[in-house]
Amino acid sequence: MNSKSMLIEKIVKRTLWFLLSMLLLSIVVFYFARLAPGDPLQSYYGDAVESMTSPELDAARERLGLDGPIALQYVKWISNAAQGDFGMSLKYKMPALDVIAPLIGNTLILGGVAYILVFALATILALFCAMHEDTWIDRIICKVGTAAYYIPSFWLGVVLVLIFSINLGWLPSSGAYDIGKSDDLFNRIQHMILPLTVMILSHLWYYAYMIRNKLLDEIRKEYVLLAKSKGCTKSEIVLKHCFRNVAPTIVSIMAISIPHVLSGTFIAEAVFNYPGIGALSVTSAKYHDYNLLMLIVLITGVMVVSSSIIAQFINEAIDPRMKLTEVTAWKETPQTPLS
Amino acid sequence: MEGNATDPFVLVGANYKTYESAEKKISFWQRIKSMPILSMVILGIIILGCIFAEQVYNHDPTGFYLQNLNQPPNSEFYFGTDSLGRDIYSMIWYGGRVSILIGLLGMAIITVIGVIYGCVSGTANSRVDSIMMRIPELINSIPNLLLILLLTSVMGTQNIVKISFVIGVTGWCGLARIVRSEVRQIRSSEYVLAAQCMGSGFFHIMIKHLIPNFISTIMFVVVSSIGLSISMESTLSFLGLGLPVDVVSWGSMLSLANKALLSNSWWVIIFPGVFLITTLVCVTNIAYYFRKETNKRESYL
Repeated sequence: MNSKSMLIEKIVKRTLWFLLSMLLLSIVVFYFARLAPGDPLQSYYGDAVESMTSPELDAARERLGLDGPIALQYVKWISNAAQGDFGMSLKYKMPALDVIAPLIGNTLILGGVAYILVFALATILALFCAMHEDTWIDRIICKVGTAAYYIPSFWLGVVLVLIFSINLGWLPSSGAYDIGKSDDLFNRIQHMILPLTVMILSHLWYYAYMIRNKLLDEIRKEYVLLAKSKGCTKSEIVLKHCFRNVAPTIVSIMAISIPHVLSGTFIAEAVFNYPGIGALSVTSAKYHDYNLLMLIVLITGVMVVSSSIIAQFINEAIDPRMKLTEVTAWKETPQTPLS
Repeated sequence: MEGNATDPFVLVGANYKTYESAEKKISFWQRIKSMPILSMVILGIIILGCIFAEQVYNHDPTGFYLQNLNQPPNSEFYFGTDSLGRDIYSMIWYGGRVSILIGLLGMAIITVIGVIYGCVSGTANSRVDSIMMRIPELINSIPNLLLILLLTSVMGTQNIVKISFVIGVTGWCGLARIVRSEVRQIRSSEYVLAAQCMGSGFFHIMIKHLIPNFISTIMFVVVSSIGLSISMESTLSFLGLGLPVDVVSWGSMLSLANKALLSNSWWVIIFPGVFLITTLVCVTNIAYYFRKETNKRESYL
């Protein structure tokens, strides 16, 4: 079996596992959502429910897929979902997919930029700290970083809004762009500065610390001594030798971190009223809009799984040790007469 | 019986447990010194202030002082009043109880689920183990916040127990994974096998043999989960999905932050936040104390 087909097999396995887990999750959520207090009809029709006659109510239930036992409702929902119909959003009174579609892009831009910036800065910070291990500057960065990580990000966001948009008036406090300026790139960037700052400050140290520790393990390996005796400078050793060896670990950390960073994006969106699926998920949780929430969970799951598959590809490209061929090559070595 | 402290082989008698070597006494003071004293003192003051809130506060924390809406800090209202006319200074001490209680409850739920799940998974055979370890993987593949949103939305109106439950149920995965890997290392030790041979049950082995062995490893996670629960509660309350405004906690006080922004009343945002963060940083510092420093070799750089 060659490496390519094994890779495909791996991806297929992963996707199947993902589908299975989403199925399980959707069953659990669907079941709980139907048991939950708060009548979905009430949130769809508002107070008009009270003046409806019982045949009208039954008709409304049927239209929203709320009639029959829960198992039957679920089967109906899943078969519709397979055809791309995820049901009506109870709050916005339109198909859930139509509510979400224009917002995904915003979230991906914010999350993606934050993700790249967090890891770029974390790597730089980690390299800097590792080179200056146990000096005063490393210690200060460690202390400040730990404290910054434990500041709740929503509070940081509110304080930044208080300082920079209300008292200084430099930056806008909410939204993704001013009205009528959706194509203005500068305006968009202006709106992204505060959410990005919050996300970077609240995630940076967590990952910088992980990478720093990996680097500290790495500079205790013997090849560093060899490189040093060869006459390499400190920065040469760290950048050319150690960093190369740590790079696959960073990619792995990046792959695992996606749900974490997405969580942060959601909070930042909610604080700054940024029109993305994070802010939407908070409002739909408030209004018990389960159809919408389910779809958000599914989309987020797809994002997480697909990006972790991409991370695996990148890892194999930059680190030959990760390749599966290594394992098969080892198996093909001639057996010793003893066995 | 009379042992020489420098002699590695000390003869001990029946009452050997009362024997204390000279080294132990010194290490006690050293241990005190290595403790994060500042964090412990600050945290102690905050906790005592919250417990004896009735003596500390000077206004009724649940009372609405309608003549004094949005007052900046002054001599009567030390930290000012919020948009509902409540005294922030009194609310901080009173609300701290709820926040800390949620932190402790969240920690308890996380620890109980994480330890039991990890022990079961670690001692089970490999097939059950691999299935059991898939569940935390599944939970972790969805952003934690989204799961909590789903659960809170399903739960309906929140109270202290419900919110701790939601935080606990979504937060145990990391701990379970650590416990499992620790248990897998010690599960085939002689003393565990011996206990099994003597017919002791799962919970007996877990409490007597497994937990004492990995407790030092998990202490860091356990203690820092107090901080995580407190911070998650405040985030949820801020988003309007946590405790209602009339249940005073640091989080529900901060849920008025958006209103406070409009009237530019910084004291509503800053004071509860400072208390919240001070508590979180102190808890984390104490948690770091429990993390055993790995033996570091000399750097080659």
